[in-house]
Amino acid sequence: MERVIFHVDMDAFYAAVEQQDNPELRGTPVIIGARPGTRGVVSACSYEARTYGVRSAMPISEAYRRCPHGNFLPGRMSRYQEVSRGIMSMFEEFTPDIQQISVDEAFLNMTGTERLFGTPEEAAALIKRRVTQNTGLVISIGIAANKFLAKLASDYDKPDGLHRVLAGQEEQFIDSLKLGDLWGVGKKSLERLHELNITTPWELRQIKKASLCRLFGKAGGEYLYRAVRGTDPGILQQETKSQSLSGEVTFEQDTRDPEVVKQVILDLSHQIMFRLLNSDKIGYTVFIKVRLSDFSTSTAQKRLRRPLYSAEELFDVAHTLLQKRWNRQHEIRLIGVGVSSVFTADNQPEQQELFSDPYDRQKKVEKVVNSIRAKGSRIEKASLIDSVPEMKKREEKRFSSRGDEAQE
Amino acid sequence: MKFTCEKNSIQKEIAIAQEIISTRNVLSILSNVLLVAENNTITIKATDLKVGFETQIPADIAEEGSTTVFCDKFLGILRSLPDGDIEFEQSNNRLLIRPLFKKINFQLKSIAGDKFPELQEIADDQFFEIPQKDVIEMVSQTLFAVSDDETRYFMNGVYLENREGGLSMVATDGRRLSYISREFENQIPDFEPVIIPPKVLQLLRKLASGEGNLRVAVGEKNLFMQFDSQRISSSLIEGQFPNYKRVIPEQQQYEISINKPQFEEALKRVALLVEQKSRRIYLNLSEKNITLTSEESEIGVAKEEVECDYEGPEMTLALNYLYLTEPLRVISTEEILVRFTEPNKAITLLTKPEQDFFHIVMPMQLD
Repeated sequence: MERVIFHVDMDAFYAAVEQQDNPELRGTPVIIGARPGTRGVVSACSYEARTYGVRSAMPISEAYRRCPHGNFLPGRMSRYQEVSRGIMSMFEEFTPDIQQISVDEAFLNMTGTERLFGTPEEAAALIKRRVTQNTGLVISIGIAANKFLAKLASDYDKPDGLHRVLAGQEEQFIDSLKLGDLWGVGKKSLERLHELNITTPWELRQIKKASLCRLFGKAGGEYLYRAVRGTDPGILQQETKSQSLSGEVTFEQDTRDPEVVKQVILDLSHQIMFRLLNSDKIGYTVFIKVRLSDFSTSTAQKRLRRPLYSAEELFDVAHTLLQKRWNRQHEIRLIGVGVSSVFTADNQPEQQELFSDPYDRQKKVEKVVNSIRAKGSRIEKASLIDSVPEMKKREEKRFSSRGDEAQE
Repeated sequence: MKFTCEKNSIQKEIAIAQEIISTRNVLSILSNVLLVAENNTITIKATDLKVGFETQIPADIAEEGSTTVFCDKFLGILRSLPDGDIEFEQSNNRLLIRPLFKKINFQLKSIAGDKFPELQEIADDQFFEIPQKDVIEMVSQTLFAVSDDETRYFMNGVYLENREGGLSMVATDGRRLSYISREFENQIPDFEPVIIPPKVLQLLRKLASGEGNLRVAVGEKNLFMQFDSQRISSSLIEGQFPNYKRVIPEQQQYEISINKPQFEEALKRVALLVEQKSRRIYLNLSEKNITLTSEESEIGVAKEEVECDYEGPEMTLALNYLYLTEPLRVISTEEILVRFTEPNKAITLLTKPEQDFFHIVMPMQLD
């Protein structure tokens, strides 16, 4: 039976959610990210903003220059996740084999569902309609026999796209793309290819596998060889078993004030832990990222024997890790805290302990706080309320939730 | 160095030496066993730097001296040789191994004996003597409860404490705790409590004959034991053992008396269908009866009723069944007592009549 894979991509997801929740924003350029005038970047933007040349990951100052009348918003990750969960559960009505790869993307294995939902195109149209009816959001779907092509196909006529790559037309489809559009062909490989005077997928396909391996190394060469033929080069084969959650903060002014740094780590730890608890996940590895004012960046991590217990524990571990990477002499530009080796909690019945764990009480407190927040009330740890001097307060906050293989 | 000795007597000791030597490390002098020929005895030493082992066997010595050889291969060679006397000779950085009256000749590369690390020593007057069988019983009652969670390294050993008129041993993994306190006639010198790593205690249990006395000395950082013709030593675990006295229930409200073999058999059967991740088993108590049930799972469910002596309200306890079967394995009385107060507090397992040990288990969540 021919494999039928859908890649579902929500169009301009964060911005679209904002526009749905706030009708005044509809039809206007919405730019989500840091506050203009600060040093952060754009994390997402609406299609209206894109017509002004605004792109994600662009410095916010540049976005402001290009689109000064845009609606600049800080972003509400928890709301996006909530909407995402709702959409993902709609997919469950179509197939049990879903691989969510980020908050706004998923692969659906639709092999053998023709009798249930009709041809792949019909099924995709049905899913698109269902999502739009229920949420008002627009999605793009790419259909192919493997994940690699499906992913490229969903991008093909975005937004509101639906494109199928038929068997036998793989190379034809690839040839209609630019080299840089091929998933996994990064800036470096692209530069190298241009140096070799290879500018189209067709030209790349004429190169022998052995030559590619010589030029790009064994793994890189084989990847390109397969990618340009539309055979899945394999990076999406692997199920995302473990994920990571992280957040980072760029200081408005580089700092070496240990109290400010500590406060930011505490803040990040609380936010990450609550996201973890909310998604019913457990995590084992704590990592930090430190970027100094000279842009030198280092990371450190520690794996725990048992799942992370509480935000206080996350903070303790992260803060200890920081001591290894920062001598308090240099100024810090950016701090990141994250949890990896994240798995879905299987809710094992709790075994009681003889000796009280120092983090046990905090865990209970945090669970309660979390349930209060879930009901919509605002509750913060006292030491997190505006204790960071305003001028030093973080401006850019980026959160990511991603599979391990996507990790830097 | 040149000596002759009987194959089986040296092979037995080399096999023990090989167990101590850490095979995980890269090859080094620590992969070797030290042989010293002196005064008609061969002294054999091995160490992984934490545990040290020393033993002596009689031999016919033609030339005194010492050497070290790769223990793993040495043992392999000895095992392969036919029974009978073997001649060992050190010559030009090689140990020649020649069974008498046979045309077999092995040459094993050697490293000089003086390169071998010194084993930890303690003054002879530090030793005290207690019966081997008592120490082995104390180890058996506690060793299984040691934690293997390296992040709680201070629970990775058995806590040995000097009590008035005797010694106590405690082990815990944070969820269950085993305790034994034994009195001794011999005077035991004062020492600060220590945490003993499991390896040396397993070794003791394996090697000691159980007859006669064990000589023990507790140093600041090491423990020394001598028995029969062997000496073993071990470094101690540094760290603070949890305040275990605080978690031993002073008084518990209810008591169940139950036939141990029946209970153990029932546990074994019901455990077949216990969910293997949580290992949770339920004990439903009613007067005269205790019902063991597994959780209903995809596979099925198991239930068994055992008679018991209990006067108290109907109640359900949930426990990790391993925390019951492991202590039961080291209990040999016909009757046992289970004491408890309520389903979310510690339960205690004791023998009936009571002896000098008990096991405490923390329950699991009921639902």
